[in-house]
Amino acid sequence: MVSLTALVVEAIKLRKTYMLGKVPVDALRGVNLKIERGEFLAVLGPSGSGKSTLLNLIGALDKPTEGAVFVNCIDISTLNDNQLADLRRRIGFVFQFFNLIPRFTARQNVELSMAIAGLGKDERKKRAEELLETVGLKERINHKPTELSGGEQQRVAIARALANNPSFLLMDEPTGNIDSKTASEIIHLVKRLNQEKDITTVMVTHDQRLASEAKRVVQMFDGLIVQDVVN
Amino acid sequence: MKISDIFSYAFSAIKLRKLRAGLTTLGVVIGIAAIVALLSLSQGFQGSITAQVQTGFATNTVIVSTIDLGSNQGGPPQATESDFKLFVNDTQTIDQIGNVTMSVAIIQKSIYLEVGNKTLVVSIVGVDLDKYAEIYSSTFVAESGSIPSSPQNETVVIGKRVSDPWENGTFFCNVNDQAEIIWSTRSGFAFKNESYTGVVAAVLKEVGGFSFGGTADSTVYIPLLQAQSFFGSDECNAIIVQLESDSEATIESFTEAIKEAFGDQVSVISSTAVLDTVSSLFSTIEIFLTGIAGISLLVAGIGIMNIMIVSLMERTREIGILKALGMKGRTVLLIFLGEAIIIGLMGAAIGIASGWGIANIVVKVFSGGGLLQLRGATGEMTITPLLTPTVFFGAFAFGLLVSVVFALYPAWRASKLKPVEALRYE
Repeated sequence: MVSLTALVVEAIKLRKTYMLGKVPVDALRGVNLKIERGEFLAVLGPSGSGKSTLLNLIGALDKPTEGAVFVNCIDISTLNDNQLADLRRRIGFVFQFFNLIPRFTARQNVELSMAIAGLGKDERKKRAEELLETVGLKERINHKPTELSGGEQQRVAIARALANNPSFLLMDEPTGNIDSKTASEIIHLVKRLNQEKDITTVMVTHDQRLASEAKRVVQMFDGLIVQDVVN
Repeated sequence: MKISDIFSYAFSAIKLRKLRAGLTTLGVVIGIAAIVALLSLSQGFQGSITAQVQTGFATNTVIVSTIDLGSNQGGPPQATESDFKLFVNDTQTIDQIGNVTMSVAIIQKSIYLEVGNKTLVVSIVGVDLDKYAEIYSSTFVAESGSIPSSPQNETVVIGKRVSDPWENGTFFCNVNDQAEIIWSTRSGFAFKNESYTGVVAAVLKEVGGFSFGGTADSTVYIPLLQAQSFFGSDECNAIIVQLESDSEATIESFTEAIKEAFGDQVSVISSTAVLDTVSSLFSTIEIFLTGIAGISLLVAGIGIMNIMIVSLMERTREIGILKALGMKGRTVLLIFLGEAIIIGLMGAAIGIASGWGIANIVVKVFSGGGLLQLRGATGEMTITPLLTPTVFFGAFAFGLLVSVVFALYPAWRASKLKPVEALRYE
């Protein structure tokens, strides 16, 4: 039995309906999910099953049509835009397409999220270098994204996501754009971070093999959670 | 996010699109440069005229004449010159008005001045040389020779430009030269020339500029009595009056007294009135010119807005990333405004510098051709462009204001983008 304070995310009866042109599409049809501190959770499902929508709602990037999301026991629907922005600083996002700023070097990209949080220059620089070393990019800190491979770019994105000591890490198909060998390297990095630094991680994927690396696998289909297994 | 970080982020975004930012800045530069060039030229022009009026026109001196110098602004239209005539002995009436120190009548005509075999058309002024020298003690001063206190009939005092009309060392006449004064009149169909021979007693020092009754460089001065008998008339063109003070009240009460004595047929021109007319004329011109230049700045502003909207489209995904990283809407707004501020500041700085440069080049180029060097019967003046602090800071503020105002809408739209939608934008 885990104590209540260890609950990082709780989703209650989440529904999300999009308008695709004039046709309403139910992306989520009532999802309940609890994520505890230190978990490594994979959300597995085919495309269109609603897993990315779930991730966006948990990450405060989008608002549910119905239901509630609690992050660190706070109902995020009660937060205004500025408070949501503050909350996002405590959530580490990693995207399928890396989403680095092309004109910035690896270090500057990592520094950016700390600059947004208002950290000073020297502190930013030091921490960015440490983080890039952690993800194994010590030699590439002054390279721009175009000079880095897909795997390297995703490592920069992970370093950036970790910069502000987030409550949890949200990864949306983090290996979807990377060759399989590099993908398993990335997964092992994420696993290592989860084990060594106790970083709560939620990873969305459609790859059964990758999902099997996680401690807990949530299977989604057609906007609902159909299976929740702890390995 | 710290302000310095916001600006360095904005600057990095501008640096990425150098050509586009440069062209946008150029729009601001052109607008500001036009405003600064036009205003500094016009203010320099106005400054020169004001200075000339002040030197050529003692402030406690007024001119009574039948010419109306725009003193009836807003009133019903009037003939600029009435049939009423002033006569030499009207000075006796004027002298009796309170606050008048002295008055002197002026008879002014155009004559031929012949020295040796050379002839010059000049204006001639018949005046009491003694009193005139007292009223214009700073300008009616001999450079060579001397102005006699009890002049002979043939005494002639000439302005600098009469002695040296071509400014090249070839003197037309000098002190002690004999000069034939020829006045042409018509009698029926025949021209009749009257003439007498004068002796140059003094050449005046150079005055420059315009003159309203005061000493002028291209004029010949002769004693009043000689003018009366030579021209065969006691009619005078103007009476110059020296008052006890140059206060507005003194001028006002004198004007009232003149109106009472001569009716509405004569007008009193004071240097203050002339300067008022000049400055109101210039402010009208300035408003017009600034308006035209302002339109070019408006176009620049629309350019900024256009570029910002394009930039907003291109950077939608980037804004999504920033928001996902926890950037607040108002920080996004400040980044966009920061870009506009950088463009506005650079545009204003370069614009002021090049506007000032253009004004100086214009003066240099055209003063060589004599276009901006006004040569009149009374003298000449050169224009120096003037960049006042008001124009300097005004142009700066205006450039910045236009940039920021036109960036407000795109910046606001950027700040309102929803993170999920912005991230999904291709």
